[in-house]
Amino acid sequence: MTNFYSWNRRGFLARVTSALAASPLLGSSKLLFGQLVKGAPAAPQAEGNAKPIYRKLGKTGISLPIVSMGVMNADVPGLLPRSYELGVRHFDTAAHYQQGRNEEMVGRMIKQLGVRDKVVISTKVLPPGWSRDRSQTQTQTYSTAEVKAHFNEVFEGSLKRLQMDYVDILYNHAADSETEIHSEGTLEAMTALKKEGKVRFLAVSSHQPEMALKEVMKLGVYDVVLIPINYTIARDEGLMKIIDEAAKKGIGLVAMKTQAGGAKRPDPKLGKPLTPASQTALLKWVLNHDTITTAIPGYTTYEQLEQNFSVASNLTYSAEESEFLSDKNVAANAQFCVQCGKCLPDCPSGVDIPQLMRSHMYAVQYSNHSLAAETMAAIASGKGLAACSRCESCRVTCRNSVNIGAKIEHLKALSSIGVLKA
Amino acid sequence: MLRSLSLLSILVLTSAGAFAAKRTAKPDAIRQEMLKLIAEPLPAGAVATHSASFYGPDNLYEYMDGAADIFVLYGVHQLLHVDLRAKAADISVDVFDMGSADTAFGMYAAERSPDFQFIAIGAEGYRYEGMLNFLQDRYYVKLLGFGDGADTVLETFARALSARIGTNPALPALLSKLPADNRKPHSEQYMPADPLGHPFLGPAYMVAYVSGNQESKLFVTVARDAADAQMRLKQLEQHFIKTGHCEPAPELGERTIRASNSFEGSVIAQTKGRYLLLVVNPAKGSEQLLKTAAAGLA
Repeated sequence: MTNFYSWNRRGFLARVTSALAASPLLGSSKLLFGQLVKGAPAAPQAEGNAKPIYRKLGKTGISLPIVSMGVMNADVPGLLPRSYELGVRHFDTAAHYQQGRNEEMVGRMIKQLGVRDKVVISTKVLPPGWSRDRSQTQTQTYSTAEVKAHFNEVFEGSLKRLQMDYVDILYNHAADSETEIHSEGTLEAMTALKKEGKVRFLAVSSHQPEMALKEVMKLGVYDVVLIPINYTIARDEGLMKIIDEAAKKGIGLVAMKTQAGGAKRPDPKLGKPLTPASQTALLKWVLNHDTITTAIPGYTTYEQLEQNFSVASNLTYSAEESEFLSDKNVAANAQFCVQCGKCLPDCPSGVDIPQLMRSHMYAVQYSNHSLAAETMAAIASGKGLAACSRCESCRVTCRNSVNIGAKIEHLKALSSIGVLKA
Repeated sequence: MLRSLSLLSILVLTSAGAFAAKRTAKPDAIRQEMLKLIAEPLPAGAVATHSASFYGPDNLYEYMDGAADIFVLYGVHQLLHVDLRAKAADISVDVFDMGSADTAFGMYAAERSPDFQFIAIGAEGYRYEGMLNFLQDRYYVKLLGFGDGADTVLETFARALSARIGTNPALPALLSKLPADNRKPHSEQYMPADPLGHPFLGPAYMVAYVSGNQESKLFVTVARDAADAQMRLKQLEQHFIKTGHCEPAPELGERTIRASNSFEGSVIAQTKGRYLLLVVNPAKGSEQLLKTAAAGLA
């Protein structure tokens, strides 16, 4: 069945900065990733002269500093050599970033530096017909042979632009559905390229991390997965469990969107631009989980490079970083339901508001409509969304300033068009 | 089915959500203006296959994945997307309102390669592998065609769209004041923020020049005023002192420096009024280039 929201499947990140958790999570003794924030060192640190921490990338045998470079936004050639100088050893690009100009820049710089054998290069190829509008992709079909031919053509273009004979990691780019991950044409092309020695390791990049990891583990073909991992998933124990499971099975894990949009487009509800300390805090939060090999933050200035790479050798939170992660106002403004249940007595209809808020999170932030529907279906009879129709508008006030009424209206709208069934 | 999809899409776009701050119930004035660009009757006998959709900086990634980030960096205001069918060809139309002619040029140039086949549409356009992209005023238009006759349809459609935009079919005025000799064709760029990786240098224009087999780049950063330009030169000086080497270059003129480091290479830089001019990777003749460029901006 065509998913109406196929164009919206990146809703996982729809409001990433608006889902920052705060002290209610951090104060808990059992945090996801099992890391405490306040005062305690969170992970092994590099010794000596701020050397970066290295981690193995699954079973690939590759060892990488925990901070790498997502090149996609950078059109500053000097950033790559400077990154290399500071210790970055992995550069991530993609065939369609800036219509190939991004790969050209990476290729030119790596060649000038003469360090091809010292760095890990990844690129990505999109499926055919990815005409920017994902709903278009959904309705067109391509034969296995067409998909394979397309993949090979694009990848050969990548090698040419990169001025390389091979790449270390090749991603099946933006594989946000099981179909795309299992695509025969793509898999045939990728495995053949690996046999030919043009690719060392096969990978998937996806904005649907739970689905992607499950499918990758089932298939047993992909070596690496690139997924969004950031503070907004702090409460998602299911996802964290799957991440750990994938890591145990030897899948190399690379994190993107680690700074939840970053300073470039901070959520205006946060009230102020994200500070450098908040940027490094968010990155440290991800990397304090040692099943994540490396993160690929996108940076465009030398200042951001230095800021990000400082995390590579120091995962301990500074006072300012701890303060940011513990700021209740951040969480309140970001409208993240912390499941405290204090709203329940205010509802005249006895609606299970926390579960509805959780459903909303799955539907909107994760674009996981089936999980959202499941969550709503699990609500006790008479306490679900239908009960909300007894009130003209929601009268409940959240102690943490979550706009419960707006979220309920949104759920009603989604339900009325059949996406969710209350 | 497609109509239902489009209605549902619009419903989702317009539903009141705490997260979707940019999605308004009714199109604003700019959107109305953009919709006129694709009002029927459409050129080349094209018909829309579903309703147009709009994306803003907050949700552009839903349409473009990671490629959206650079558009956001360049200050995109709106994207109008529509899919059309013209006889046997399918056309994907993206009209980016980049907010200003400069940022539209910047985004257009960021994706432009000297290898493309350039055509005179709007301020400039090019064709490449089923694409036809062009720039005009504050719009960056990207067209993608599939199927029989797509190439012809693309050009017809692009010219008609350009006529509908109507305004400002010219590249940024400052570029015409820079030296023409030895200029590498189609190398001009505009960076609204962080040119050369330095926030204090934004915004800036860049043009590449070729001398023999060496390429240099001339950057012209636009400061608020002469004092701000001086401050930028000072910051640049401090950066190079910290990371490499920097010294005054009085032989090149007042307020001029010569600098270098291991990752940016060599630079000569000079202020002229509100402009800070830099030549990166100076080649033979670059000193004269700097002087000529500065004189042209006086």
